[in-house]
Amino acid sequence: MKKRIALLLTVAMIASLTACGKKAEEPANTEPAQTEEQGDAEPAEPAEPAGDEGTTDTEGKAKVAFLTQSLKNASQAFAWSQFQKLAPEYGFEVTLIDEDYDAQNGVSGIGTCIAQKYTAICMNPTDPSALIPAIMEAKEAGVIIGLYSSELPEGYATTEYRDFMCGTNDVLFGEIAAQQLMEAFPDGCNVVEVGGQSGHAAQINRHDGFFNTIDDSVKVLAAKDCDEWASDDAMAIMEDFIVQYGDDINAVYCHWDVGLTGCIEAMKAANMDLSKIYTIGVDGCAIGFDQVKEGTQTLCIGQSFTQMTIDAFDCITKIMNGETLETDVIWTEPQIVTKDTIDDYEYPEW
Amino acid sequence: MTKTKQNSVLEFFKQNLVLCGIVVLIIVTAIAEPKFLGAANLNNVLRQLGPLPFAALGMTFVIIAGFIDLSIVGIISLVGVITVGLIDPLGQGGALLVGILLGAFLGWLNGLVLTTCGAMTQAEVLFITYGMSSIYMALALIYTQSETLRLAKSEKSYSIFTTLGSKNLGIIPVVLILFIVILVLMHLFLRKTIWGRAISLLGGNKDAAYLVGFNVKSTMRLAYTINGLMSGLASIALLSRVTTATATSGTNYETNAILCVVVGGTTLKGGKGSVLRTMLGVVLITLLGNCMNMLGLSTYMQTVMRGTVLVVAIWLDNRKEL
Repeated sequence: MKKRIALLLTVAMIASLTACGKKAEEPANTEPAQTEEQGDAEPAEPAEPAGDEGTTDTEGKAKVAFLTQSLKNASQAFAWSQFQKLAPEYGFEVTLIDEDYDAQNGVSGIGTCIAQKYTAICMNPTDPSALIPAIMEAKEAGVIIGLYSSELPEGYATTEYRDFMCGTNDVLFGEIAAQQLMEAFPDGCNVVEVGGQSGHAAQINRHDGFFNTIDDSVKVLAAKDCDEWASDDAMAIMEDFIVQYGDDINAVYCHWDVGLTGCIEAMKAANMDLSKIYTIGVDGCAIGFDQVKEGTQTLCIGQSFTQMTIDAFDCITKIMNGETLETDVIWTEPQIVTKDTIDDYEYPEW
Repeated sequence: MTKTKQNSVLEFFKQNLVLCGIVVLIIVTAIAEPKFLGAANLNNVLRQLGPLPFAALGMTFVIIAGFIDLSIVGIISLVGVITVGLIDPLGQGGALLVGILLGAFLGWLNGLVLTTCGAMTQAEVLFITYGMSSIYMALALIYTQSETLRLAKSEKSYSIFTTLGSKNLGIIPVVLILFIVILVLMHLFLRKTIWGRAISLLGGNKDAAYLVGFNVKSTMRLAYTINGLMSGLASIALLSRVTTATATSGTNYETNAILCVVVGGTTLKGGKGSVLRTMLGVVLITLLGNCMNMLGLSTYMQTVMRGTVLVVAIWLDNRKEL
C-alpha cells in the first residue's frame, strides 16, 4: 500500500514539474495591447537590456516577476493576463509567482528571483508585512521592487523598501461610495454594509474609507463582514439584514461586485423593489458592469488592471534607464460606473 | 426514586444535546431580537439551509464508513462551473443531469483512487482527498480562467435553477422539499438495505465486514460515490441560490459538512450515526449563524463559536466511549 501511495505521489510530482517546465517554455503573447487605457497613457521607451548584471534572459529581455496572492482570485488572473499581454511591448519576459494565499510561497519566490537575478518584481502579496525581510534582501541585490494594487504597511511604504507602488486606493473606493451615496440621498438614508473577507486589507480599507466619509445624514443600520469573498456568505448576511430592517433599507454597500450579486438575489427573493434601493459594489468586473446595465446595481466602483500594469511597467523601464520617478506612488484613477457613465468605459474582461 | 428521575433527565439531555442546544439558542436570540421568531425569519432560515444539508448528508455516509472526504470543496466548485457552462449547449435539463452525474463520478473516482492506493485509515484518506480536491479546483480554474460564471449570461432558459434557488411551495423552499425527499430515501437506504448496513459495518469493524462477506473496497467506493452525488446536488443548490459559480465556490463546505455531521452525533470513529441526526446538526449550525447575525456578533466571534461547537462535540463524542 505504501509503495502505491509513494508511486502515486511520485507520478503527481513529475507531472507537476513537467507542467511547470512546459509553462516556462510557452512563448509570450506578442499581440500589442489595444485598450482604451493604453491609448491615454503612452508607454515609456523600452529599456536597455541590463547586460552584464545578468538581469536579462538569453534573448536580452529583462526578467520581471509578478508575485500575486492567488490566481484563484479573478482580478489577479486578469492582472496576470495583462502582464503577459503588455510585456513584449516593453521588452520584458514575465514570470508568475503564485502565493496561493501562503506568504511563505512569496518569500521563497523572491529568493528564487534574487538567485536568478531578476530585474524587477511586481507584487500584490497575501501579507505584505511577511515579505519585508525578503524584499529588503531583494533590494540589496539590486532587484527593482514594485508594489501592485497593494502597499507595504505603514512605516515601510517608502523607497527604502520598495521603488514604487502602482495601484488603486481601497480607502478612496470607500470614500467614493460614501460621497455618491450622500449625493443620491441629500436628505439622508439608511444603509447596510456587507463587507469583504474579514481582516483582509481591502475589506478594512473599503470599510474605513466609507465610514470616515459619511456624515450624520447616513445612518448605518448594520455592517457585517464575510468569512471569505464568497457571494453565498454575502447573501446570507443580506437575508438576515432584510429580516431585521426590511423596507427601512435604502442602500446597500457591498465590498465587491460578485458579493453584491448575492445581496441582489436576497432582495429579489424578499420581493424588495430593487429600483428603490441604491446598490453599490466595488471592483469593476464584468458582473458589476452587467448588473449596472440590468439596473440591479446602481454604482460600480472599478479599477483598471490594464492601466495599473502600464504604470508599473513604465516605472520599471524608467528605473532601468536610470531615470528618477516623479513620484513613487502612482494611483490608478478609479472608474465610477453608473447607467449614465457605463459607455465611457471599456467592458472589463474579468 | 428521585435519583432515578434525575438520572433519566440527565440521560435525556445527554442523548439530545443538539436539540437542547437548538432550543436554548432560539430562546436566547428571541429574547434579544423579537424579529427572530417572525415568519420572515423562519422562511429566511429555511432558505439559508441551502446547499449545506446535501453536503452534510453525503459526508455522513463517508464518516459512518469510517473515513473522511475533503474533496467536496473541489467537487462543488467543479460541478458548479461545468453546469453553468453546459446550459447553452445541452439545455438546463441536460446541464443539471450532467452536473449531478459528474458529482457522482468524481466521488466514485475518489473511491477508486483510495482503494487503488490501499488507503484504509482516516489519515491516509484525509491527505489523498485533499489532493483530489486540489485537482478538481485546478480543473475548475482552467475551465473558468478564474472568471465568475453567471446563470444570467446563459442564452437558454435556466428556470429550473431559479425555481430551486428562490421559489417556495407554501412557506417551504423548493430546494428544501427536494432535500427532504432525498433525506428520507437516504435514511431508508442506510437503515433498510444491505449496502447501507455494509457501510455501517465497514465503519464499525473492517475485518468483521470482510469476514461476513462484504466487499470492503466496493463498499468504500459506494460511500464515496454517494458523497460525490450529494456534493453534486449541493453544488446545484448553491448555484441556484447565488446564481453564480466560481472555481472556489465550494470553499469551507468540507469543514461545515464535517461540523454538522459530528455535531449531529455521528462518531468520527465510524460505524455509528444517522442521517436524521445530521439534519439536526445542520439546523444547529445554520441557526447559529443566523442568531449571531441577528445579535450583531462579529465574523471573528462566529468563527470562534463554530470552532468551539466542533471541539465540544468531539469531546462529548469521546466521553461516550469512556
